[in-house]
Amino acid sequence: MTDAGQKLIPMVIVFAVLLLFVVAGLLYKARESSEYGVSGRYSGRIGGGAAIASNWMSAASFLGMAGLIYLYGYSALAYVIGWTGGYVLLLVLLAGQLRRFGKYTAPDFIGERFESPAARLISAAISIVITLVYSVAQFKGIGIVFAWLIGINYTNGVILGAAILMGYIVLSGTLGVARSQKLQYFVLIVTFILPLMVLAYRLGYFWVMPQFGYGRAMTDLSREFGTDISAPFAHFGLFHWTALCFTLMLGTAGLPHVLSRFYTVSNVRDARWSVVWGLFFIALIYWSAPAYAVFGRLIEARAGIALPPAAAYAMADNVVLRTALLGGLPQWLVGMLAAGAVSAAFFNVAGLLMTGAASVSYDIYYRLVNPQASEGRRMSLAKGATLVLALLVLLGALNPPGLIAEIAAVAFALAGNTIFPAFLLGIWWSGTTRHGVICGMLAGVLITFAQPLFGSLLPLVNTIFPLTASALCGAPLVILITIAVSRFTPPPSEEIRRFLAEEVHGHLE
Amino acid sequence: MRNESGPYRVNLFRPKSGYMKGEVAIMLAALVGWGVVTFGFQLLLRLTDVPGRGSWLAGFSFFNLPFHFWFTAQMLPLWFIIICVLFNLCIDRLSKRQSRRRDGFND
Repeated sequence: MTDAGQKLIPMVIVFAVLLLFVVAGLLYKARESSEYGVSGRYSGRIGGGAAIASNWMSAASFLGMAGLIYLYGYSALAYVIGWTGGYVLLLVLLAGQLRRFGKYTAPDFIGERFESPAARLISAAISIVITLVYSVAQFKGIGIVFAWLIGINYTNGVILGAAILMGYIVLSGTLGVARSQKLQYFVLIVTFILPLMVLAYRLGYFWVMPQFGYGRAMTDLSREFGTDISAPFAHFGLFHWTALCFTLMLGTAGLPHVLSRFYTVSNVRDARWSVVWGLFFIALIYWSAPAYAVFGRLIEARAGIALPPAAAYAMADNVVLRTALLGGLPQWLVGMLAAGAVSAAFFNVAGLLMTGAASVSYDIYYRLVNPQASEGRRMSLAKGATLVLALLVLLGALNPPGLIAEIAAVAFALAGNTIFPAFLLGIWWSGTTRHGVICGMLAGVLITFAQPLFGSLLPLVNTIFPLTASALCGAPLVILITIAVSRFTPPPSEEIRRFLAEEVHGHLE
Repeated sequence: MRNESGPYRVNLFRPKSGYMKGEVAIMLAALVGWGVVTFGFQLLLRLTDVPGRGSWLAGFSFFNLPFHFWFTAQMLPLWFIIICVLFNLCIDRLSKRQSRRRDGFND
């Protein structure tokens, strides 16, 4: 980062915002204690949309997206499109039917639909891996922000950030803090857009809607310095762009913690409409993210700082904060930006770890190992699992294997190759059997990790199943495998087919 | 087909009831709108690319941005929202028509 040393004002703001969530959560709980437990209360479609958006927002959206656009320009828009277009798939193919199916987690759905403990176990294990990979990306974001705040190196930053995060989760859990997702979304959007407006104003561009204002900055950048961010497919070609975009879309519609959103909405219609609001709230952030990237490039170019590609890659995830600093924003405003990034990452990780821990304690331990386990025992197992998962994530984040958004993309590829096909076929084809889905999910895991596993043996694999973009060719292959195996194995029980036909698609005349 | 014996069958490509037929038609329309505009535009951008000069789609500006950049970065997310709104309106209408035809509608 540009300057070392402690940043007192931003630090105060970050902790004040975290404290605000605790206080608001306690007030909220006092008011709503009789209504819901952990999952938060929904007040209509807009509230549901805010919940979807705040559940979705992460360090990858807040820091990673601008970093990618800063590096790759137009090519990076595959992430913008993938992470918004996926909600179309989710709404059109799954949302209503999932709500009618009424299962709580992804492994629970797969276990019940395919009446198979083995399928439940595999999908639980996959959910845990998705949690781990996705959380590594978040931890990187947390590490970067804390390293900057305290003025220490990245390694210490990520360790300190992880400790604060775990303390925060334990504190919230002990106090029984309810998640106020509307407040969360409000904080995220304000902390992201307000600094951007001030930045645009200082640079002399249209600041009321910097989403439009950055266009002129882009023109200036290419006219004055010959840097053309908008050049199409400059960094990767059409095939890779499409594969990446498609993979992120399928992953969006297959991420367990995103799918879980639909089980708690009060009815099917509200579930569908809250997706629209959620997508709108998410798009507000993604319409703005390129502005940080463009302003960042412009400020650098004007200051005569030209980073060599390797250094640019190394600092790309810092672009948002760095741009705010170089742009001369007041300390408190940079602090707000940091606070937004920290809360996005914190709440995302908290949700992910909760999903992962539930897979361990409920789907694996309670449903498969010890069905007599008491609630208390399951709770303590879930707490232990959260801690172990967090430690594993920390290990992975000490040496982050790529950019925040790139690491997250691997989690999306895994979800798109395994969970998405299982849900799609499970809901839309009653002939899908447990053997089919098990083979499909295992094939999906192999395909996702084909590049690191077989890439050196078979160079073709690197082209068709690139690590971050394997689902364009992968998911259709998984679907074909699932269908083929299903054709040759005993059909699902009449009971579950009847449930599918009458309850899930229950509009029969 | 052995797998699809018995009275209870669900198959996206062979919708049975009137409601599901309508539902599947709306779904396919939404997916076509989603896929063709998103990936079709990228393909068009690639096909119209003239070496050295770039595509004409990148040659004029719109909302201060080169048109292709504006379309992908700003129009496509908006397009997704539009698809979702239209999809929900159509499904709502279909459900309403269905509920009029049948008592005890409880969606």
